[in-house]
Amino acid sequence: MNLVLELRPPESRFYGSWRERLETVARLRRPDEVHALCEQAYALGVRTVLAVLDDTIREALIAFQRWRDVAVWAVLPNMFAFIRDLTDLGMVGAARSRFLRLTPAAMARTTLGALGALGAIRRRDFVAGALLVADMEMAALRGLRVTRLLLHPQLTEIALAGGLPTLFTELATRAARQGIEAGIVTHNPVRGAAVLGADLARFPAVIAPCNPLGYKMFPDREACEALFRSDPGRFFADEVTAGGSVVVGKALAHVEALGLGGAVLDVRAVEAAYREGRLDGGTASRAV
Amino acid sequence: MSTPAPLRAAVVGAGRMGMVHGHLLQIHPETELVAFVDRDTGLAAHLASQGLRAELYPSLEAAYAETAPDALFVCTPTHTHLPVVREALVRPVHLFVEKPVATTLADAEAILDLATRAGVMHSAGYVYGHLPVVAAARELLAAGVLGEVLRFTAHAYVSEVFGEKRGWFFQKELAGGGVVANMASHLLFILGWFFGPIRRVVASTRSHASAVEDSAQVLLTFTSGVTGLLDTSWSVPGTQMLDYGLTVDGRRGTLVLGRDRILLHLLAAAGGYEAGWNEIHASALPADAAFDVSPHIGGEAFYRQLTTFVRACRTRTQPFSSLTEALNTQRMIDGIYASAASGQPVDAP
Repeated sequence: MNLVLELRPPESRFYGSWRERLETVARLRRPDEVHALCEQAYALGVRTVLAVLDDTIREALIAFQRWRDVAVWAVLPNMFAFIRDLTDLGMVGAARSRFLRLTPAAMARTTLGALGALGAIRRRDFVAGALLVADMEMAALRGLRVTRLLLHPQLTEIALAGGLPTLFTELATRAARQGIEAGIVTHNPVRGAAVLGADLARFPAVIAPCNPLGYKMFPDREACEALFRSDPGRFFADEVTAGGSVVVGKALAHVEALGLGGAVLDVRAVEAAYREGRLDGGTASRAV
Repeated sequence: MSTPAPLRAAVVGAGRMGMVHGHLLQIHPETELVAFVDRDTGLAAHLASQGLRAELYPSLEAAYAETAPDALFVCTPTHTHLPVVREALVRPVHLFVEKPVATTLADAEAILDLATRAGVMHSAGYVYGHLPVVAAARELLAAGVLGEVLRFTAHAYVSEVFGEKRGWFFQKELAGGGVVANMASHLLFILGWFFGPIRRVVASTRSHASAVEDSAQVLLTFTSGVTGLLDTSWSVPGTQMLDYGLTVDGRRGTLVLGRDRILLHLLAAAGGYEAGWNEIHASALPADAAFDVSPHIGGEAFYRQLTTFVRACRTRTQPFSSLTEALNTQRMIDGIYASAASGQPVDAP
């Protein structure tokens, strides 16, 4: 099974307690700690990292990719950072701060790309704005070898609610232009399949919750599993331990039985499995 | 049995929350989004680009004339809620008002009075009250699993304000306050729902980054006799989403409520739970939401909130999240600011 480590800024996760939050955030704010976590995941057989990127995670992954042949699937944009910048700096300020992080060559490429969408950006077109921000964050990922692009779930769910296949197909087109692929990460895969129709085939990885408890599976477990069974290799299981309620070994067995393309493991699941030295062990990954 | 006609709803205010509600109204099988209302009609293209298909009207009058909604979602800046509700209730539409309901207790009372006199169903947008674990915790307390509830401690933190901030959200007269009115009010609503009407508040607030209060420490006493402490700040590093927690002590044990689970420690078996530690995780609770519009903030609670409101309108029964319950929250907010300003305990009116 293709195992995927999920990384995102530690401040954007939920924790069992405030103390657990402080300890984990302090630890995973350090690139060397993130790198060490990646090594643990690698030892367990993980060969892909799904990452919402910030400076710490980017630095850690660049170092990790120097030693290990791992794929990085980038989730763009870093939505929480973008929302914070929107509040502090406004739309123009948020875009400007991202633009200024680019190299001169990337600035020129982004400017050229944005010229064609100037009217849409002026009209505050959702798809054009989302893609521009994603483009700028993608251009800032220098040094990182990214093999798949995915939109942040906060954007994805809004686009799926609004029935906007264009956002996804445009992303797939942009990814193809760079010689890579696009994916989808969502809590609403059934809605995603309905919105995208035949275009779903353009996304070789659709990441969605899949666990034996139906946790976070919308609209329900039955509908999600029916979709997964229709094309199992395309789907990657997220939330496999149902928030730590299912032991990692049992969670992966469930994914395997459905024949899915792979499983996404969060930090807790990887650390719990690494402590045991195996993925098929019986330790629950939830801290108390 | 025939399927009831969908609840036809309009959204006033095309900002972030207005768009979230618009999407849910469009996707929920029991509702239909019929109009947006915003003075800035230039937003029409922006709404359409998000797939929000309802027409944008510059006034309630125009929206009413064309669409005759059954319900109205008030998602404008807080200081406009009362005038919007006053204008809205020229016809008897059911009301959903985003939180906080008003910038002052007097305005919140006036809003509730208008809705009551109009005879409509109403709800406030304290979305975290609709999370399955919160509802389960309330059921445990109501069932007396902890025995007599004695005290609680609570926190609500988020990493948002570390320097000067601009916009209406950071002006007290427009937003009703800072972290207390706009973030901790979610938890205040839950506390009121759990413990009943507020009796007395003692509070200290501090502004260390923005023009409104950025942190507060509050001692709350409810008429039920329950007392407890709330610590809140939006200037705490480490959490991009609202991190809240509530620990309730009773004569028979302790309940710890987090985002996705309840830890229950009982001195003796009760209510089907064993003595010692019990865990109730969200994954073990009934899942009745069909769409997750915001996985990281609020999650399925937004969908459940809408379902609760729709069912209330259909059955003509006020929901637990009604403006009456929200008035209790507003009394706490008002008491916190009054106590912080005077340095004295404040009794609820």
